[in-house]
Amino acid sequence: MEHIFQSLAQFWEYTGFANCAWQNLVMIGIGLVFITLAIVKEWEPMLLVPIGFGMIVGNIPMFPGLNIGVYEDGSVLNILYQGVKQGWYPPLIFLGIGAMTDFSALISQPRLILIGAAAQMGIFGAYLLALTFGFAPNEAGAIGIIGGADGPTAIFLSSKLAPDLMGAIAVSAYSYMALVPVIQKPIMLLLTNKKERLIRMPAPRVVSKKEKIIFPIVGFLITAFIVPSGLPLLGMLFFGNLLKESGVTKRLANTASGPLIDVVTTLIGLTVGASTQADKFISVKSLLIFGLGLLSFVIATTCGVLFVKLMNVFIKNPAKKINPLIGNAGVSAVPDSARVSETVGREIDPTNHLLMHAMGPNVAGVIGSAVAAGILLSFLG
Amino acid sequence: MRRILTCVLLLLTGLMLRAQNVSDLIISEAVAEPDSTGIRDNYGRLSGWVELYNKSTGTVNFGGCYLTDDRTNLRKSLIPKSDLRTKLGPRQVVLIWCSGRGADGTFYADFTLAPGKTVYLVSNDGRTIIDSLAIPATLPAGLAAYKLATDIRQQHFEMVDNPEIPSPQMRNGVQASATNGELMKERDPHGWILSITSVSVVFAALAILWFLFWLLFDRQAKKKAGLSSRASRSSRGRRPSGSQDEAEVAAAIALALDMECSGEEYAAIATAVHLYLSDAVHDVEPGIVTIVRKESGWNNKTLTFRRLPK
Repeated sequence: MEHIFQSLAQFWEYTGFANCAWQNLVMIGIGLVFITLAIVKEWEPMLLVPIGFGMIVGNIPMFPGLNIGVYEDGSVLNILYQGVKQGWYPPLIFLGIGAMTDFSALISQPRLILIGAAAQMGIFGAYLLALTFGFAPNEAGAIGIIGGADGPTAIFLSSKLAPDLMGAIAVSAYSYMALVPVIQKPIMLLLTNKKERLIRMPAPRVVSKKEKIIFPIVGFLITAFIVPSGLPLLGMLFFGNLLKESGVTKRLANTASGPLIDVVTTLIGLTVGASTQADKFISVKSLLIFGLGLLSFVIATTCGVLFVKLMNVFIKNPAKKINPLIGNAGVSAVPDSARVSETVGREIDPTNHLLMHAMGPNVAGVIGSAVAAGILLSFLG
Repeated sequence: MRRILTCVLLLLTGLMLRAQNVSDLIISEAVAEPDSTGIRDNYGRLSGWVELYNKSTGTVNFGGCYLTDDRTNLRKSLIPKSDLRTKLGPRQVVLIWCSGRGADGTFYADFTLAPGKTVYLVSNDGRTIIDSLAIPATLPAGLAAYKLATDIRQQHFEMVDNPEIPSPQMRNGVQASATNGELMKERDPHGWILSITSVSVVFAALAILWFLFWLLFDRQAKKKAGLSSRASRSSRGRRPSGSQDEAEVAAAIALALDMECSGEEYAAIATAVHLYLSDAVHDVEPGIVTIVRKESGWNNKTLTFRRLPK
């Protein structure tokens, strides 16, 4: 009988109840909030459900040494986590994104590319602020990339520059991507007047197949020669797009944009979530990262909108003016930020469709954030 | 257009030439008097040698350059032009034996080294000194005079006062212990330099992309559109092309994307827009949609008949 009690007592020590700390419960609570937001509000469900559930998985209190935790070498979660830690998953996701992205909106109006560059100011604004708050340059660079509004890029760069902060950076990036409509709309309304919001842009021209095929090749050559350190992201993005646009590799494009990206998204979401173990995640640094991440989105949106207004100063032909409401779309967050442009535009003029125009800076933002990540990696890596 | 393309080509050619410039070569190490443990040349002799290093990221062909130990005779020893082995890869080194017998091969110079001498690497024009290395007069036999990069990533080499044991065919540089982040913290504590540089590069990369596509496609397409628009206005009975129709199409696409509808609906809208744009199945009557019958293998009844054996 005594042995049975001893066994039960020993078993009790292995249970989550015996090892539970309040930090675990907080993180499980945050995971549940993510899942709720994803299901009820439908905010980025593809990401928030895996991340939210991963947070719960990673924060189940456990007896250390059983070789099951995400940070314990050789465990299943640890093996899956290597894709994040070593940076394999983000380029694979970029392959899928490339195979899904239609660059027509960008090719038909090349001037909109510059908006995608302007919105990257959010990255460097956050970098400067992070340095002010006492982060080391490599950590500041990893935090700054949250302003690129691109989850895979944020994971890729933070895994190289500041692996310890990757969990907080990834969760922050994906959370704010889900909150793009909430963050961007007030800024857009604040920075534009009614006259500007009513600007009707000329319809985009039809883009030929030849242009669509040449774009990923030329785009890759130019960006990769300028920033070779962005090769994994840029290469995969443009390669995926070439698979799609070439028209002769439909099966590969379908796999990249379908099953492959789904599998990798599931794994990246789950493992990033699981990496937010309370003992490594709950800290003042994480709170600062969340604050700086929000500011980077605000700076990026502000710069995008203001840059369009600046462009309009130089555009003399009124028929060619650009609606500043598409400036916010320069941050990546494809296609959510472009949708925000459409929604805000239609609120004031229901017949003014900005979605196609906003997709130009939106996809330019993807390229821009990958280029920015490459630059930060070459300077700080 | 031609002028711009020519300028771009010239610029690119200039960049490529710069990438293969012999000015990226340095004399990184020299041994004047080797001792018996020293490296021997291809003939088994102990000779003095100099080591050339290519600090660029491109291949440099040093064939046609000169080596000399005489400031007044810069063309003393020519490195042959026709040897493919004179192409030195990025961050690679090559040894030139100063045996005094240049006829021994490509990598042999027509002079010998001694303490107190200075060896010069001269460009293929025979006038420009690319780099030099002064061998200390007190250099003991068996030791090397050399240049060192305290951080090999920076590729900044400086002459070292104390001679060392020779390290032929090896880069003279040490990997700095400080990380890039730490170096950046020292050089740019507030982050402004990195930020301004990075923003400029992002803008430059995307601006080049914009310029190229504007130049190659957008401008041409708009010219074509302008011509076809004028042509269609002049012809009767044609569907009026122009901004109104295109705006409707764009609105339809925008609506389709915005509605979050199912795949079938996407497909139906996309097909309708495609057919509308390609003008394949609609007639010219405004507001009426008719489907023009088109024969294909799928609905050709004759193809489905059973063939009788002959």
